[in-house]
Amino acid sequence: MNYEEQLKLQSFLDGELPEKDARDVAARVARDNQAAALLAELRHTREAITGFEDTIRLPESREFYWSKIQREIDRLQPVSAREAPAFSLWAYLRRVAVPATALALVAIAGLVANRGLHGFGGAGVTEVSVSDAEALTYRDYAAGTTLVWLSFPADNEVAQNTTSGTLP
Amino acid sequence: MNYRVIPVGLLAGLFVLSALLVSAQTASAGDVKLEVYLIWGTDDAKSPNPKHRPVDADLQAELKKLPLKWKNYFEVNRKSVKLADSESSRVTLSAKCDVEIKYAGKSTVEVSLFGKGEPVVKRTQALPKGETLFLGGNAPNATSWLVVIKRVE
Repeated sequence: MNYEEQLKLQSFLDGELPEKDARDVAARVARDNQAAALLAELRHTREAITGFEDTIRLPESREFYWSKIQREIDRLQPVSAREAPAFSLWAYLRRVAVPATALALVAIAGLVANRGLHGFGGAGVTEVSVSDAEALTYRDYAAGTTLVWLSFPADNEVAQNTTSGTLP
Repeated sequence: MNYRVIPVGLLAGLFVLSALLVSAQTASAGDVKLEVYLIWGTDDAKSPNPKHRPVDADLQAELKKLPLKWKNYFEVNRKSVKLADSESSRVTLSAKCDVEIKYAGKSTVEVSLFGKGEPVVKRTQALPKGETLFLGGNAPNATSWLVVIKRVE
């Protein structure tokens, strides 16, 4: 028997075939031992299943039984998948404000250290010109150099070379 | 006891803060050692004064980074100065060039330049270790002079 014929036997057993098809299947079962054996097997199986289903009785109502299953599913879901917890100021402080405070402390420490290296009290760079000496200041922070260029007339003044008459 | 209550970030921040404060205190304490130079800048390859010698490589490199036009720099004189906090010293670099340096503490120096004994300029500025202050000006024959104060310690 092929698959279609087996399905037709199952339909015959369930009473789902039209009358003509049902007669044809009944005739086939009468003359075909294999078909008769399969039909008997299907009938026994159906009766067994029906009997099994009849033995199951829920101790509570159907709705309550399924509601218990739903609650168990919810319980096993990850916390993040459930609804967000209520806002907690302490939790917010721990997550945001504390790291921000730590960063602020580091920034303040850097500022304090920088001022320590370069002097407190705004010592930074100050200049007082004397004797009408105008100065142009160039500062290279990367190289750590400061150049103060003076218009001071250095001719034979600052570092005179006694042998050549010119600087230095 | 729940140790997670103490934020790791806060602990790290406090540690860095302590380290930086200690570092700052260390940097501001103690003496300073300075190298003071009188330099002549020129485009000539050689100085007419045989006593002059080319500046050392480190100083040459610093001079090359400055916006100066001269090709060669010669060391006319060099002095080493070590100053304690609030201590000052007057250094004679040539017959007519003196520089007085006072360590004002906290890596700050006060520099007074004198020409022929007369004050030319006074400058107060931070000079952390490794930094250099150049005081310069034009000299005859398109040359230049420079007083260099380099903090080595």
